[in-house]
Formats: sequence, C-alpha cells, structure tokens
Amino acid sequence: MMLLFGLVYAHNATMRDGLDAAAAGILIGAALFFSCLGGTVAAIAAERERGTLQRLFTTPLSPAAYFSGLVMSQLLLAILQVVVLYSIAFYVGAQYHGSFLLGGVILLLSVFIYVGMGFFLGMRFAKRSEEVVVALSAIGVPLLVLGGTFFPLEIMPRAMQFVAQINPISHMNQAFKGVAAYDMGLSELRFEMTFLVIFCVISMVLGTQSFRRLSIEGQIR
Amino acid sequence: MTAALEVIGVHKSFGGRQILNDFSLRIDIGETVGLLGPNGCGKTTLLNVIANLVSKDKGQVLFMGQPIENLGKPMRSLVAVCSQRSSLYPELLPAENLLFFARLYGLSEKESERRVAELMSDFELEGFATTRAGRLSGGWQQRLHIAVSVINRPAFLMLDEPTAAVDVEARLDLWNFIGGLRDQGTTILMTTHHLTEADRLCNRVALMRDGGVVAVGHPAELLSRLPGKSVAQVTSVDTDGLIKRARALGWPTRQGMNEVRLFLPAVLSLREIIDALDGVNLSSLSTRPLTLEDVYLELVGGLAPLERVALK
Repeated sequence: MMLLFGLVYAHNATMRDGLDAAAAGILIGAALFFSCLGGTVAAIAAERERGTLQRLFTTPLSPAAYFSGLVMSQLLLAILQVVVLYSIAFYVGAQYHGSFLLGGVILLLSVFIYVGMGFFLGMRFAKRSEEVVVALSAIGVPLLVLGGTFFPLEIMPRAMQFVAQINPISHMNQAFKGVAAYDMGLSELRFEMTFLVIFCVISMVLGTQSFRRLSIEGQIR
Repeated sequence: MTAALEVIGVHKSFGGRQILNDFSLRIDIGETVGLLGPNGCGKTTLLNVIANLVSKDKGQVLFMGQPIENLGKPMRSLVAVCSQRSSLYPELLPAENLLFFARLYGLSEKESERRVAELMSDFELEGFATTRAGRLSGGWQQRLHIAVSVINRPAFLMLDEPTAAVDVEARLDLWNFIGGLRDQGTTILMTTHHLTEADRLCNRVALMRDGGVVAVGHPAELLSRLPGKSVAQVTSVDTDGLIKRARALGWPTRQGMNEVRLFLPAVLSLREIIDALDGVNLSSLSTRPLTLEDVYLELVGGLAPLERVALK
C-alpha cells in the first residue's frame, strides 16, 4: 500500500516526497480509519449482539466512560500503528519533517473523531456484526474517498470538492500531511485544526445523542 | 413497610404500539415479586424501564423514594438486572467475566477476588474455571450470567426469565440460589412463565395483561379469587351432558381441547364427584388442588369470568 500510494504521489513529485506524503495519508486515511472507526463500529455491534452493552449500561459505568474506554483502546492501537507504519516508512526512505507535538495532536483529534463517528454509526446502524460492513461501506468508505485518501481533491468535480470541505477526513489528511510531509506549522494549518476541534466536539455529541435515542427507542440490545 | 420500588402509572409505547399501559406496582424491601403474563405483555419492557435502559412516556419509577433517572452512582449500584438473554464476554473465562464486572461496580481488588471465588463456588462453576464463557453450554452460561448479575450484592435484583433456557437440574439449583438471595433480604422482581417457580419463590405475584396489572397478591390470596377449592379434570363422551349437570350443581366449568375442568366447592373424593355427576357417562376423572396456573388462565387468559359458587 505504501508503494502504491508512494507511486501515485511521486507521479507529480519525487519518489522520496511521494513516500513522505504517502506515509501520512496511509496512516490517517487507511490505518486509523479502519482500526478506529471500523474497530469502534465493530466493538459496539459485538457488544449489542452479545447483550453486554445493555449490561454495561446497568452498571455505574457512564456512557462517557464507555466512550473514553473506546478512545483509550483505539489510541493504543493507533500508537502501535504509528510505530509500525513509520518504521516501514523510514525503512523504505520516507521522512517525517514537522513537529512531533503538532502531529501527535492531529492524530489524537483524528482518533477522537473516528471513534465518535464509529460510536454514532455503531449505535445507529450496526445492531449485528454483519451490519458493520454495510455501515462502513455505505457511509464510511464514501467519506474516505471524499477525504482525498485515494484521489487528490484537486482532480475532483467542484461539488465533490465542496463535500470534501465538510468531510473531517479530508482535514485530517491535509493537516497530518502538512505537518509530516511539508513541515507546516500551526499558523499554516489553523483552518484545518479549527475544523478538527469543532468536528471532534460534534462527533462526541452525536455519539452520545445516538445512545440516548437508542435508549428512548429501547433498542440498546 | 418501606417501598424498595414504586412504579406509578407508567406508559410506554414503541412505534405506536402501547406496551405498558398505566402500569403500577409497589415492592417492599425484602419482597420477591413474580411478574407473570403472556409473551409480549410488556414484562421485559417494564424491567428495562425500571433499569433506566428504556425511557418511559409517562409515569414515575421510584427506587427507595428517588426517581430512577436521578440515581447517583452509589444508589445505581444497588440495582441489578439480569436480562433474559445471557450477556457475557465469550472470550473471557468465567472468573474473568465476574472480575470485570466486579471492577466496574467499584469493588476493591481484594473484595473482587473474594466475591469471585464465592460466586464460582455458589454456582458450582469451579469445574469450568478454564473454559471460556463462549464455550460453556447454555445452562452453565445462564448460571454465570446470573452470577455476574449479583457480583455487587445488589439490594434490588431484577431477573428476566432466569430459568427459561436451562435443564431441570440447573433450574432447581438456580431456584435454590434465588431463594437464598430472597432469604438474605434481597428485594427481587422476576418475570417468569413457570408458575411453579413463581409459587415457590415469590411472596407476591403480579399478573400482567396488555401492559397493565390485572391482579397482584400472595399466591394463596390469588387462589382464593377463584370460585372453588379444587379442580376435577373430566373427559366424557357426553361433554354437553357433563357441563349441564355440573352447572345444575353450581360448579363452574371450563371446556378445554380434550377435557372439562370443574371447579369444585370443596376438596371432594372421586366417589363423591361420580355420585354428584349422577348419570353422566365419564371416561376419565382426576382431581387436583387449585394452582396458580388456574388463576393465570382465568385472570390473564381473557376468559369470561367464572360464576362464583356458594362455598360449602
């Protein structure tokens, strides 16, 4: 995947620059998407399917604590993915150019957003594990495509570019690529960072609201 | 007596269908109350409303005088619900399942370990200590499921058909365990289709129909609502003649698929019944005491009321 992405990016730049951008894009657009968003939807569907979600909510555990638990577990996986992916990336010649702190903040926000979106999709659309694939294919993957993970946003029609502008994945991609591949700072990424913070809050509210709605409809199980 | 739980005029509907309809029930501290009713009458929904897993449309649910929605963590820890369906982490061992929930309830490490060992012993799960929960048979999963529900020694326990999917031996074991909890003073609300279970374990029984309570009381008190002291189960080639004769005697009757049940005004011997049914050709006859099943069929079954006879 690194090679494929690297070749695509390198088509308009050098292979080395291409790999720098590819590593960032794969991490945000592929690895974290499938593990954090896909993993969260799958975790919630599995909890619902085996009835443990209902049991968890009869304990003193709050929905916020449950959400935090999911974030923590996905964060650990994300750290592991960063280590593995960048080890391979460095091995094949890619470089990380920007601030580790800023990159870390972007990854943290991305994990929160993905888990929030996964929480929402899992609570609303995935009652059974078979429905995880449907929820991801129908809603998640279009977001991934419109996030500039596979195609540069510039080659998309204007309408799709507009959608990409309100898609958090495109801002995650832009921000992390900006730091990792092009050494951009906070001032250059102010718009992306603001968007990510706002969407982080929105996704957490959506996740919590979808839980409350489930509760009202009596469909926790 | 202080009420552990008060359900006052609760309504709940899903998709335009009324599930709970002005449901009210009071359970005193230390009582074991059985909820009986046909499938779909709202028993599980009621438990979910009480557990605050499903919001109600109208009415109040008070636990120890406080609205269930506003319970703080310490009070919430006193309420436990054991759902109809087993809900365990299949990849964890029985003790790990217990330990996980012990920690969620905030039990200390030492207390958790002690409690886990106690429940592993009480539910005879030690023999399956190295078997993952997902590999246990249905009956053993149900034991573990109930064990997890009582990990924090709840003051108020709701059990949704706790013995629905277990064999006779496991059922008897679970009855002993639930009886033990009752004797220790745990307040219990349980749904069941086993009338024997309700009769054996419950101080009071609430009969539900169409989302509301049609009768509530001690099993003996509910039995006294029927117009009779015992039941004769009779088959005859002349069913019409049998019913006519029974009515002439003032004995209420119910005609089933293959037999006629006669509600007798006293405990009569077979000889006395045969003599009373003078001239009716009987194919078989047996007698038995009134049971909760009779009460259930009469009060929940939607039958026309039986005529009350003058008891001798």
